[in-house]
Amino acid sequence: MTAVLGNVGSTLRTVRSAVPDWVWALVFLALAIAYPAMVSSDLLDASINSLAYIIMALGLNIVVGFAGLLDLGYVAFFAIGAYVMGWLGSLHFAEVNGGEGIHVLTNKVAENLPGIHLNFVIILIAAAAFTALWGALLGAPTLRLRGDYLAIVTLAFGEIVPRIFENFEGISNGRQGITPVDKISFLPGQTPLAYPLELEPVYYVALVMVLLVLFVNRRLRDSRLGRAWIAVREDEVAASAMGINLVRTKLWAYAIGAALGGFSGAFLATYKNTVNVDQFEFGFSVFILCMVIIGGMGNIWGVVIGAVALSMVDRFLLKELNGIPESIGLDFDVTSVNFGIFGFFLVIMMVLRPEGFLPSGRRRLELHEEAVADDVASAVAAEEVIEVRPKA
Amino acid sequence: MEAASLPETGPASRTPGRSAGDFVLDNILWVILGGALVFFLATDFTQTLVDIKTGLSNGTIWALIALGYTLVYGIIELINFAHGEVFMIGSFVAVSVWQTFEVSAASSLLVIVGSMAVGLGAAMLVSGSLNVMIERVAYRPLRGAPKLAPLITAIGMSFILQNVGLLWRGTPDSTPDLIRSQKEVFTLLDVTIVRSDIFAVAVTVPLLVALLWFVGSTRYGKAMRATAQDPDAARLMGIDVDRTIGLTFLLGGLLAGAAGMIYALYNGTIQFNQGFTAGLIAFTAAVMGGIGNLKGAVAGGLIIGVIQALGDTHAGGRWTPVIVFGVLILIMVFRPQGLFGEETREG
Amino acid sequence: MAAWGCLAAALSFGVAACGDDDEGGSASSGSGDSGSTSLTVYSSLPLQGDSRPQSQSVVNGIKLALEESGGKVGNFTIKYTSLDDATASAGKWEAGQVSTNARKAAQDKSTIAYIGEFNSGASAISIPVLNQAGILQVSPSNTAAGLTRKEGAAPGEPDKYYPSGKRTFGRVVPADHIQAAAQVTFQKDEGCKKTYVFNDKEVYGKGLADQVEQIAGQQGLEIAANEGIDTKAANFRSLAQKVKSSGANCMFFGGITQNKGVQLFKDVHAQNPSVKLFGPDGVAESPFTSKLGAEVEKMTYITNPTLDPKLYPTTGQEFFKAYEEKYGAAPEPYAIYGYEAMKVVLLAIEKAGDKGNDKQAVIDAFFQTKDRDSVLGKYSIDENGDTTLSDYGADVVKDGKLVFDKVLKAQT
Repeated sequence: MTAVLGNVGSTLRTVRSAVPDWVWALVFLALAIAYPAMVSSDLLDASINSLAYIIMALGLNIVVGFAGLLDLGYVAFFAIGAYVMGWLGSLHFAEVNGGEGIHVLTNKVAENLPGIHLNFVIILIAAAAFTALWGALLGAPTLRLRGDYLAIVTLAFGEIVPRIFENFEGISNGRQGITPVDKISFLPGQTPLAYPLELEPVYYVALVMVLLVLFVNRRLRDSRLGRAWIAVREDEVAASAMGINLVRTKLWAYAIGAALGGFSGAFLATYKNTVNVDQFEFGFSVFILCMVIIGGMGNIWGVVIGAVALSMVDRFLLKELNGIPESIGLDFDVTSVNFGIFGFFLVIMMVLRPEGFLPSGRRRLELHEEAVADDVASAVAAEEVIEVRPKA
Repeated sequence: MEAASLPETGPASRTPGRSAGDFVLDNILWVILGGALVFFLATDFTQTLVDIKTGLSNGTIWALIALGYTLVYGIIELINFAHGEVFMIGSFVAVSVWQTFEVSAASSLLVIVGSMAVGLGAAMLVSGSLNVMIERVAYRPLRGAPKLAPLITAIGMSFILQNVGLLWRGTPDSTPDLIRSQKEVFTLLDVTIVRSDIFAVAVTVPLLVALLWFVGSTRYGKAMRATAQDPDAARLMGIDVDRTIGLTFLLGGLLAGAAGMIYALYNGTIQFNQGFTAGLIAFTAAVMGGIGNLKGAVAGGLIIGVIQALGDTHAGGRWTPVIVFGVLILIMVFRPQGLFGEETREG
Repeated sequence: MAAWGCLAAALSFGVAACGDDDEGGSASSGSGDSGSTSLTVYSSLPLQGDSRPQSQSVVNGIKLALEESGGKVGNFTIKYTSLDDATASAGKWEAGQVSTNARKAAQDKSTIAYIGEFNSGASAISIPVLNQAGILQVSPSNTAAGLTRKEGAAPGEPDKYYPSGKRTFGRVVPADHIQAAAQVTFQKDEGCKKTYVFNDKEVYGKGLADQVEQIAGQQGLEIAANEGIDTKAANFRSLAQKVKSSGANCMFFGGITQNKGVQLFKDVHAQNPSVKLFGPDGVAESPFTSKLGAEVEKMTYITNPTLDPKLYPTTGQEFFKAYEEKYGAAPEPYAIYGYEAMKVVLLAIEKAGDKGNDKQAVIDAFFQTKDRDSVLGKYSIDENGDTTLSDYGADVVKDGKLVFDKVLKAQT
């Protein structure tokens, strides 16, 4: 099975390299734009979630995949970003400004409501900036740590941050959560988007966000900072000896990784129309980490595939499975074993492809130095390594 | 991983060049923890003694689970996320045994003692073999794979086992109160010692002694330690590494099963999601004691128990998890090798 | 480029300008528009994780109600679809899934009513969606006051949940304030001077605990503390010790069985054998009462909207019998509310007569429900969508079973 997948992989690579990259990019873009017209609204809804998860997975990929810092508490940044959206775009602070509310370039619906209502773009930027700050703050104590120790501290942060939000009800409204949250709009006085009843517009918003993040991610990977991350991942001591500032490099990884989590978190807060502490559990960190690992750590496209695959299984495929037993006349409820099926899927994926669906070329080399040397794929793999260098 | 499960290794060897400042930082945690304890004892002596007692007896269970984490981590550097679920299954097995034979506190002493022994044996056996099976299915195929791959399969196994637990007992179930767990035995310095306190200690201590003896003094234990130090060298020395790793999982599982049985009797209720939290706490305990260090794991379990009890009393239950994980972060930052661990490469 | 222009339009005007509009609800079985005689009732409940047993029981109750009417009301055929608002990765209700379900129902033209959500926090998300679509929503279990009432609610509630300005949501279970008042009465009747309140921090449990604290203050019952517990803790021995030090002679737990109810009662009792233990309807179920043990039982007092079966109309007793016969197990406490939610929906369709497929007519009919003799007793629906049921049963526990003691008239 592994061999078959491997063959498929190398065939894919061959096909891929036969066509220039920009053609592929255009094909994917065209497909992505035409997508809503081709699918049911259930699938579209699941896809919008996938897009948001892609952003998170790409953010985590910067920390885990590029810089090699294992992070088990990514949910903290989802939480922080979502709460920024909740604070700046809802009725939560209803008493502010004597009950009149504060409105900055906001939409037609929100401008008459009490509470703070800022323009969606401002909130997105604020959320990303605020989470970046927290990413650096939470990252700072871990600078001395490596490997699993790092994982444990981040896990602890992931447990603490949501509990703190939960216990300070003034800022979070406790388990009741902040609901409803302002809908997305861009121009002042505009009618806001009408999701969840109309999904296409919000799909395009999410798509633009993903494209932006993909662009930033690629540029970062090929930048001086990106090469510094990879150097730190490979060998901290050597990297430091070559003049890389370890503290700065690592903090940037945390900050940017966190910023993407907050960026996507703010979007999800308005898309799901709630900021509720129930969402911010350890399981979510694991969920995003699984996307990164299953897709192939460090490989941007692999991570995208991982994010789409896992969120689709979670939100669409398992739901579709529910109907099967009834349709063939069985009295068996699939929902009772969904959780187990999901676990089984994780195990199978990893046993069949331990390096993820699309391992990054450099990682392949690291993991199989001897094996790759006489592997036919080595030439291709070497090619991918070069890709990491800046392009002219 | 040189610090792995070596109970008799000497004192911590300091890396050259560590400054006096680092030394203070290393020990500041002891000062904070000890200072807090002294402060609480001074302000409310009896209440704090009660908390310490509650914490220690709760902590014995964390200690048993923590040993499983630390054993496995020591030998293959894997955080076995499914371990908490193995513990949960152990609880379920023990309670099922008692429910099947319909023993209750009203049964005769002989029946109670007998069924407790059978429950303990069954829980340990099932948990032990389950852990071995998990290793075979989910971890062994991934040896040599990237380090994070087994982490994901571990999480996957944990989901599967939780689902098993959910199907088995969807709602919380109560345990027959075989030992009349909250019956007072004696009072010392105004602290009431109840039966379950004694029970938890009475089952845990022999298991710990046996484990330390096994790892420290038997051929198998030696093989485990050798494998932990360097699997390749161990293989060259004629040690069957696969078998040794399997044995380690078996030991961890046996202890988790025992912890499951104690948990059921001690607390009186069991729930399918008890494993996840217990696993997280026990894992924290293992880290606190210096992961890979057996005695450290036990001490870590006990300390966490006491921190939890003090947290419940002084800050309220809703803050306790924050305090526990806060202490964990402090330890990781100031003493990454754990309170009792040796310096490691990782530190 | 056309696509990009179109995208820009979509971004700035918030309209779907690109491609064909999706027909909506691909899974909606094409049951036609509102001229049709085939109507769909959706339910949305968490069918995964901790809440599964309870939700499954509610689904069974709903099915039972539909079967009794033969799946037909007048000329209309009623189809029932059970949706799951939990996801595998979350293991419980998930906000995104809730709005997915609400959208599914809103886009299905045959939808006539929506039963759910189970959790008040989840309903806060689905109510605005269904409100915009003008679909009747009936919850079997939401007790958070703010969903329908200003009293005891946060600023902005409940209006913020109803963007259309009209009410579309109702419930067949009394809101928190009623039960809290009954609780306080019960506690005072039993001689409580000082009560130590715990809550499980969830919307239901904490809301109720807060209301109890507030009403107790008005009625001269001292509250020692109102403390959130860590529902993942292994036991509560330290907290039990705190109850002892506080000198309270009663304890109240605002929470549900799943959140360690049994453990809390056992631990508090072990260290405070003379303290009376009070619980709400969240623990009025056999998984709780049958696990307490003989000693704890004697000190346990529970408020329960389900009264003595003898006080119930015979229909209520029949429900329990029918349920056990069909599903081979006693229903969980909210099953009867699921049953009643479906019943009242069917009744609204029936009362709407020929307009049974007109969503607004059905909503109006629901809000006009007056003096309905139901399995729960006689009640009306007020203008907020709340049930007028306010009698609570004061129950004690004997041999693992709830035993009705007396009726509590809630003084609000």
